[in-house]
Amino acid sequence: MRSPSIRALIAAGAALTCVTASAQTTPTRPALTRPGVLAAPATVDPGARPPSPDGIDWRGAVGGLRQSGNTGPGLGRGLDPAAVDKTKLPILLPADADLMGGARLYSFGDYYSITANLSGARVSLTGAAETTPLPAGSKLNLPAVGPEQLVVQRTVDGQLASFVRYGVLYTVELRCDAPSDARCRTEGFVRGLVAKSTVVVMGKAARQAAGLGA
Amino acid sequence: MRAPLVILILILLAVLALVGYNSGWFGSPPVPGAGPPGTPTASGATTPSGPAAEPEEPVGDGGVEQLPDEAQPQPAADPAKTPDAPSAGSFGHFPAGDLIAKSGSGYLDRTVWSPDLCFPFAEAAFANSQVYGAGGGMGPKDKPSQCDSSNYSLPWRDNFCESRGYASPLCVSGKGHQGQDIRPATCKKDLHWVVAAEAGIITDVGTYTVTLTGAAPPHRVYRYLHMRMNQLAVKEGDSVQAGANLGKASNDFGGTPTTIHMHFEIRSGVAGTSTDGKAVKLHTFLPPYQSLVAAYDRKRAGQACH
Ligand SMILES: [Zn+2]
Repeated sequence: MRSPSIRALIAAGAALTCVTASAQTTPTRPALTRPGVLAAPATVDPGARPPSPDGIDWRGAVGGLRQSGNTGPGLGRGLDPAAVDKTKLPILLPADADLMGGARLYSFGDYYSITANLSGARVSLTGAAETTPLPAGSKLNLPAVGPEQLVVQRTVDGQLASFVRYGVLYTVELRCDAPSDARCRTEGFVRGLVAKSTVVVMGKAARQAAGLGA
Repeated sequence: MRAPLVILILILLAVLALVGYNSGWFGSPPVPGAGPPGTPTASGATTPSGPAAEPEEPVGDGGVEQLPDEAQPQPAADPAKTPDAPSAGSFGHFPAGDLIAKSGSGYLDRTVWSPDLCFPFAEAAFANSQVYGAGGGMGPKDKPSQCDSSNYSLPWRDNFCESRGYASPLCVSGKGHQGQDIRPATCKKDLHWVVAAEAGIITDVGTYTVTLTGAAPPHRVYRYLHMRMNQLAVKEGDSVQAGANLGKASNDFGGTPTTIHMHFEIRSGVAGTSTDGKAVKLHTFLPPYQSLVAAYDRKRAGQACH
């Protein structure tokens, strides 16, 4: 009879300790504040653009930035401004304010990963400047490669789409909490996200690389 | 004046704690005599701790990772290639691409895709098939327990490109298992630490998945499935060093439990050629087995992760 009560009290103490301990853990996620997303200038001097050894089509990316107009800064409002500025890539976002609200950007400079929440699912968006070559004898068994090398792959918990734009390898991945979630069992939802991935955001490093000045 | 309030709070905490204990919030009680596991030897001398069946959660449900509508016909392995024999001096393991018979095509790739990989378990562990091994949904009928000693002993066995309905473009059919299944040191869930494969950031935590993105180029993406998700040592946004504890190997799988194992994926952006000869870049799944073997050799030699 006494055992459960004692166990409960011990567990209660442990629970309090855990709560206290976790409260002392320093989060490494940067604070979500207003980003320093810069608007594209009205004109770009092609002569001022540096060569692009990184293989990125900066001219195309700047075109995308212009087309995004004021959408980019609005959509990117929740992203960590320091991470945006550090990213030496055109950041590509789906034109979906609900999805992008509260999205988190993790930047490695030449690679970024954004995580955004949906009800019962999450979306990851990545951009990579470089790819690793496969061995010469390896062949990729792909059912269909769409425009911009779009490939959609079914994963254990969702759908992974990748495509190449501006010389950057982008991914849009959907991950569902429940394996049975219909959004993750077919390609439609993730293809919809790819279709509306049209908004370009460029921070300081990207602007500099694009010859726009910092 | 405040004494009744304090007592009420204590009672509430006690009730919560009891509910939590019975729900497994605080993990399982320690296993008597569960010290560090023995280092595996070529003869497979590591001993499992015995069945870990729990009344409320029967084990032996290893077919769950392969959903019923995803059974695939077995494509033939590439006859032009044969698996290499493991190098002398390593621990006991089948060569890359040598899967359990009729479990899938495998992929005869010798590339170590993550050369500095930190072995993703803190202790010994056993790479093998959880669907086609003992206790698995497609496993041998005379070995119904996932805690069968065959699952917890050497040799290791590759199961990348094992039969699945999921996309895996490097597999012969374009579909197959996207990673490597690894059982922890013993058949006991929520006990054995899973660790970071390299330094990076935890970029996503799902209901049964944890994603680690490597800080160094080419920024490989490592996916860890089936840890005990309510006892993770990390959360989204955390920076981790190679070898840092992430969570404990378990059987979480979005409600329906799988076998006790950790499904481990390596993904990266790659440039290659499609079967119809077109150059293509995509982000996809790479075979982890050779990287795991090399990492385990380093671990057995006492080399630290960095
Ligand atoms: Zn698996």
